[in-house]
Amino acid sequence: MRPTVATQPLWPAPTPMRDFLDDHPIKLRRERSPVPGSLRPFVLAIGLCLLAGLLVFLDRRGVITPARQAVQSLTAPVAQRLTSLRDEAGAFITAPRGAAALEARIAALERENGELRNQVLRLEQVQVENAFLRQQLAIQQAHPWTLLGAEVTVRSPDAGRRMITIARGSREGLRPGMAVISQLPGTPAALIGIVESTGPHAADVLLITDISSQVSGRVIHQGRAEVGLVQGQWQRGSRLQLGQITRALELAPGDTVVTAGLTAALRLPFDLAAIPPNIPIGSVETVRVIDQYQIAEVRPFVDPDQVRYVWVILSQEE
Amino acid sequence: MALAHEVGRIVGLFALACVQVTLLGLPSGFTLPLVPVLVICRALLGVSDAFPDVGLGRALRWALYGGLALDVFGATPLGAHALALLLGVLVVAALTRQLRVERPVVPLLAVLVGMLIYETVLALFLQPGAIEWRSYLLMVVLPSVVIALAPTLPLFFMLRRVLRGQG
Repeated sequence: MRPTVATQPLWPAPTPMRDFLDDHPIKLRRERSPVPGSLRPFVLAIGLCLLAGLLVFLDRRGVITPARQAVQSLTAPVAQRLTSLRDEAGAFITAPRGAAALEARIAALERENGELRNQVLRLEQVQVENAFLRQQLAIQQAHPWTLLGAEVTVRSPDAGRRMITIARGSREGLRPGMAVISQLPGTPAALIGIVESTGPHAADVLLITDISSQVSGRVIHQGRAEVGLVQGQWQRGSRLQLGQITRALELAPGDTVVTAGLTAALRLPFDLAAIPPNIPIGSVETVRVIDQYQIAEVRPFVDPDQVRYVWVILSQEE
Repeated sequence: MALAHEVGRIVGLFALACVQVTLLGLPSGFTLPLVPVLVICRALLGVSDAFPDVGLGRALRWALYGGLALDVFGATPLGAHALALLLGVLVVAALTRQLRVERPVVPLLAVLVGMLIYETVLALFLQPGAIEWRSYLLMVVLPSVVIALAPTLPLFFMLRRVLRGQG
């Protein structure tokens, strides 16, 4: 309550007294002392800092970590509940309202859905590539070949020519004459064709089933081998034919046919010199005898028409 | 009775730390630093108290409890936040000894300085390997300090009101 003030003072008051008599609120100010008054708080602060530092040290050493984790496990349910409350509140606040907002939201979700579908497709492609790479690794571990994987991009559109185009070319080191192999579930890695021509990023592969395909082959029968010529027969209603095998070695169904690698062995300057020996081709199905020679129908281990991914043999370890 | 008050402070600061780490997260990835700002404000009010030794002592205990609570909720080494807060409070108390804290600019400056020290100490404790200080300052420390300044004045005046009501 303000003090009652006389309008006319009866006697002149000294200057300090006038403050009490003027019609102004009286301000009481505490006289400030040097703060803090003693070093006690700073000593306390140093002590608490040391305590905190000690706790950090002990926690890093794992001494009090179990205690901290115990407290955390106690507080975790509360924290989790609060966090979910915040999330719910955030979702409520940001939820679309009105038809226009809902339509925009649907459009955004559809866009997101499309992007996610693309991502799934990419992931599936990566998975397929991973499977092929694992397959390649297994083949390379089993054989002394350096391989380059390639996807089959195009199959020959006309039935008269058994060719495929693969997505690797001269930039990746492909050359005409290189052997192309593939593997299907339950089959060995086997020859399916020969690189016929190369572009910078693509190559045409002549399948071994094409009638113009001729590769020297070695047939193995009971530990003995004979060299002949493997020729494509697709245009003649068959697959492969092994010819020029003398009757000295009697062929039988089930005999294995592999590449002979003759051109490479003779170091002839032909494209086919790039085909290494002992690449599996197929197995004998039937045998015919014509004069002094035997002709065998060969069933390829890998049907070239079924492959989607192939490997080109770039080189072979000596 | 004093022990009950102390336990109440501890529980209250743990609750505030829980609120800070759960409810006050911002979409930008930062968190509104409720506990550090409150502790720094408490230090300011403690320094300007009729018995500054007692007030500052209480602020230091707030720093310890609040820091430990943040360590528990933030899964950081126990004591790291506490040490950062204690150092921040200590520097703020030393710098504001001769200032009149009623001016609004003082709490803002105190939180600015205190948060800089707090964030720097935390970086030293929690960042693995060498710190690229320039980018850390721009990307972490400065935004944190700016965010801390936002609630400073409301919290300061609210805390002053509460403490005066108690006292």
